[in-house]
Amino acid sequence: MNLYLFIDLVVAGLVTGGIYAVVALGLNLQYGLMRIMNIAHGEFLMLGAYLTYTLVRYTGASPLWFIPPMMVALFLLGLLLHRLIFRRLAATSPDADAMESRSLIVGFGLMFIAQNVAQLIWGGGMSGQPYLDEAVKFGEVTVAANRLLVLAVAAAASLGLVLLLKKTLLGMAVRGMLQAPLGAMLVGIDTRRLHPACFGLGLALAGLAGGLLSMVYELTPSMGEPYTISALIVITLGGLGNIPGAIAGALLLGLVETFGTYYTSPSLKILISYSVLVLVLLLRPKGLFAK
Amino acid sequence: MKRGTLFLIAAVILAALPALDSPFVQSMALTCLMYAGLAVSWSMFSGPTGYLSLATSAFFGLGAYCTAWGLSYLPWPVVVMAGGLAATLFAFIIGLVVLNLRGAYFAVITYGLGELVKHTITHVEKTYAGTVGRVMNDTPSSDVVYWTVLVIALLAVYTYVRFGRSRYGHALRGIGMDEERAATLGVNPMRVKLLGFCLSAWFAGALGAAMAVRWTYIDPHTVFNPFIVFQTVLISMVGGPLTIGGPLVGALVFSLLSEFLRLSLPFLYMILLGVLLIVSVLYLPNGLAGHDWRGLWQRISRRKQPPEQAAEQRHE
Repeated sequence: MNLYLFIDLVVAGLVTGGIYAVVALGLNLQYGLMRIMNIAHGEFLMLGAYLTYTLVRYTGASPLWFIPPMMVALFLLGLLLHRLIFRRLAATSPDADAMESRSLIVGFGLMFIAQNVAQLIWGGGMSGQPYLDEAVKFGEVTVAANRLLVLAVAAAASLGLVLLLKKTLLGMAVRGMLQAPLGAMLVGIDTRRLHPACFGLGLALAGLAGGLLSMVYELTPSMGEPYTISALIVITLGGLGNIPGAIAGALLLGLVETFGTYYTSPSLKILISYSVLVLVLLLRPKGLFAK
Repeated sequence: MKRGTLFLIAAVILAALPALDSPFVQSMALTCLMYAGLAVSWSMFSGPTGYLSLATSAFFGLGAYCTAWGLSYLPWPVVVMAGGLAATLFAFIIGLVVLNLRGAYFAVITYGLGELVKHTITHVEKTYAGTVGRVMNDTPSSDVVYWTVLVIALLAVYTYVRFGRSRYGHALRGIGMDEERAATLGVNPMRVKLLGFCLSAWFAGALGAAMAVRWTYIDPHTVFNPFIVFQTVLISMVGGPLTIGGPLVGALVFSLLSEFLRLSLPFLYMILLGVLLIVSVLYLPNGLAGHDWRGLWQRISRRKQPPEQAAEQRHE
């Protein structure tokens, strides 16, 4: 096999994996902390992408300026959704299983709403606004600059989240809630304030991934769905609530998909994703890294 | 006995509907019967157990493809039966493994398997048949299709009631309440769940096989459309999957709603469905039919008294 081709594929796989990591970290927080099986997670990615795209269209400025305010907007939307829906859902669910199933149905509802609102506002066709799409040469290997940017931002965001969780008091509180929800409450961690914040953070991360994607790919109202599936695969691979596991799982899935579609055909991409999901759920439902 | 006579009268009226000779009414009744059958068959398994199955689209699509493949060679009743059996077989094979999973994992894997079947069929058709869709020739008349769907829907209602009263129905409800306890009391959870899952799959597959000829041209994206399962789950959840009346009323309401809104305002219709789905999960956990309306009425009439502190917070 040609070495340059190999490097090309690895870079492409890491870019995809980096996006998956950012999307999956948000879902992992929501599912791990609150048992919210947010099947509409990819829809927030889509909203982030369209918001960035619209702002870039109207101002002509670099999309990087709009990503932070868009993330704040999605964070606030997350707080609102938690207040309106998930707080009551948690209060009325008899156990964790019921919470998961009910939040899944709510997620489908949110998915209908988000996709069709996007259809009404932006229309069903594809729209795109490529940014920084010139090629960068490293010797014989050429990579599009925007892909490198996506990889760098995704890596920075994932690393930032890991450091936040490892090093700060807030992060320790969140890890405490992940490991022992009841114990965390007993030692005085205010779950009533941290739960909405973590839900909002999940949406903001999905929005970040969407904003990054809007620089590279075309947008459609249903673009989020494959990312939801990938995020589900990643958190299953990495293990529930396991943050480093999710990052490793995301990169692994990105590489498997890139190499898999290169050697078969691009139309099989979704087939490969679903096969990985089904196999992982059947063979390692506790995650690849479970002891 | 009163319910039995009601059932018979409704069956006779519905069977005589083609005599009206109104294609519009008949087509609406057909949609309504299809969703009634799907919702009742979904409630048969997912209602008592609480296992949220999203495989209905897969069952429906498998049935439809049986018709597409077999209609030219086999007589109509055999095709419909075979469609149901294909879905049952699929349910049996996946049931052996997925019924061990619970909660959201079960829902996600049934959805994932449905999509996997859809994309596999798309790929196989593209590679070996050269096309993605299939045109159907020598389809039975619309009256025959209507009566077939009616018979399947009536059979679903009858089975729902009989199955619910049988020892398997009791065992299934026991599993829904507490699987470990049911197992301790001598129920074999896997066997009972598998039976319920396969039974519910047969109806969805047969309905898919019967409805396939309505479209004359089918492709995987039409017959494996996830919209089918979402609408089915919505109908059952809003109506109330624990009673037979719930899915039936839900099917009637949503067929009318979709007939009038879906074509003129498709996006608004989907947004409305989303809102209804969320509201029904939050405020009607047992559906319209299972809701404690008498309690609500009492609360309203006692409004002048101080409100009770009813909302306990158990899980946050």
